[in-house]
Amino acid sequence: MRRVPLIRMGVAFGVAVLFAMPIVWMVSTSVTPPGDYVGRTLVLWPEHLTFDHYRALWEKSVWRNGLNSAIVAAGTTLVALALGLPAAYALTRLRMPARLDIGFLIFVLLVKLAPPIVLAIPLYHVLRAFGLLDTLAGLVLVYQVYALPFAIWMLLGFVRDVPYSIEEAAMIDGARLLKRLRTIVLPLMVPGLVSTAVFVAIMSWNEFLYALLFVQSPALFTLPPYVATLITEDETLWGQLAAIGFLASLPVLIVLGVVQRGLTRGFASGTH
Amino acid sequence: MKAFDRSLPAWLVLLSPAAIVLFILTVYPIARVLLLSVFQTDYGFADADFVGSENYTYLLSNSGFQRASWNTVVFTVMATASEVGLGLMLALLFNRRFPGRFVVIPIIVAPYVLATMVVTAIWRAWFHYDFGFLNKVLRAAHLPPVEWLFNPDIAMLSLVLVDIWQTAPFVFLILLAGLQSISPDVYEAARIDGAKPVNIFFRITIPLLMPYILIAALLRSIESFKIFDKVYALTGGGPGRATETLSMYVYRLGFKFFDIGLASAAAVVMIVIAAVLAAVYAIKLAGGRAE
Repeated sequence: MRRVPLIRMGVAFGVAVLFAMPIVWMVSTSVTPPGDYVGRTLVLWPEHLTFDHYRALWEKSVWRNGLNSAIVAAGTTLVALALGLPAAYALTRLRMPARLDIGFLIFVLLVKLAPPIVLAIPLYHVLRAFGLLDTLAGLVLVYQVYALPFAIWMLLGFVRDVPYSIEEAAMIDGARLLKRLRTIVLPLMVPGLVSTAVFVAIMSWNEFLYALLFVQSPALFTLPPYVATLITEDETLWGQLAAIGFLASLPVLIVLGVVQRGLTRGFASGTH
Repeated sequence: MKAFDRSLPAWLVLLSPAAIVLFILTVYPIARVLLLSVFQTDYGFADADFVGSENYTYLLSNSGFQRASWNTVVFTVMATASEVGLGLMLALLFNRRFPGRFVVIPIIVAPYVLATMVVTAIWRAWFHYDFGFLNKVLRAAHLPPVEWLFNPDIAMLSLVLVDIWQTAPFVFLILLAGLQSISPDVYEAARIDGAKPVNIFFRITIPLLMPYILIAALLRSIESFKIFDKVYALTGGGPGRATETLSMYVYRLGFKFFDIGLASAAAVVMIVIAAVLAAVYAIKLAGGRAE
């Protein structure tokens, strides 16, 4: 009979409690009346529940910021996959002259590692030239700085997983490249595309710097800059902050629960 | 379709959309930043004065820039070291099976997927001197409360603490994958030879895990080097300049003072440092592939 490692279990659960504490605090504060959380005593769970903070957010039409975030995340993901998949396919399967594929991969890696702030000044100019300053489409475009290199690197592995023999068989039957891509590679890559989409969408949903710099109209704010204005405006608007933080985290946490197994692979390619 | 097949090679057709977008978003901007860095200007080249290397010599002697560089190094080293250390301990803890392991792992990973702005919102409340959770705990334990964000000696440590909570789970995941990739046979053989647990750890586990530790440390230092969001929303770079990092410095010069030439020069310095870190990472990665 195997011994249950009680000490290891105890430490593990203790660590989990510590890590979960700020999130538990956020959920509980979002339903705590303001008078209760600004007291000096330690309160872990509110005596009286209130949904005033959520109501206040609804009255301020924060759903609109959520919608902006969703639109930008969907757009960013679509563009990154549409551009990234053909590129990843070409880099894995097609012969390129002068080792151009290696060169391009190194370039993509460098982009992934560059600090986003150094591109911010000229990107402002690029967006202005395209008339995309202060638009959600502009964010979709500049988010490709993060999303495209990530999508290409992550999709490379998934393209490699598609057995080349199936493609070869189709080639013998006379299927051209585009047809092969559409009828063989694309269907076989659906799981890979979904995991890549999840990570790109989370990245876009959470992005702050470019959202802060390139969108000025409060009506077009995505959630992170909206939260930032709440943080800096009022010192103790914690109920609303916790409520909006919880709402903004909910989709991400649900997705985390669903795609648990694919986690390590995606994180190993490095997000944020 | 025939014309498409004959006139252009397929790889070019498939690769160029991504290449063009990345070119517009990165190559052109970097070229522009390089050029702007030798001018004095408040936006573009229209009213710009050519100043040569003046921006760079100014930066090197500017105490604000020196402080920002030092702060960035301090933050990067402290955050990376403690995240790798904690991540390693967590990975070792979770490397063995025990009941409830797969319930606990997602709880520990959760902070990593939260938006940084949500993370800072929580911690800004936790750091509050009068009503913050941390000081409430300290008072309950009859300990003196701490000025988490307004004491210049402590503010940087507070930023590191938030960063650890958010990203140690990332290191943990990488190292756990690394530990799981070590074959049980290796341990079995060592035990049969009568190796002590301490020796097994230092002679087998750590050396075999080293590639993963190095990659995790490099990725974390590259990310820490970029830090902006937490500084912006937790301390604003203060108190004074105690927590102003390079990203924050470039932001302030470029988007608050519109000193675009100087901000560009600072950005170029950042690019050079990031390129060195990236080169180390690329070499490590290429080495890993070759093995």
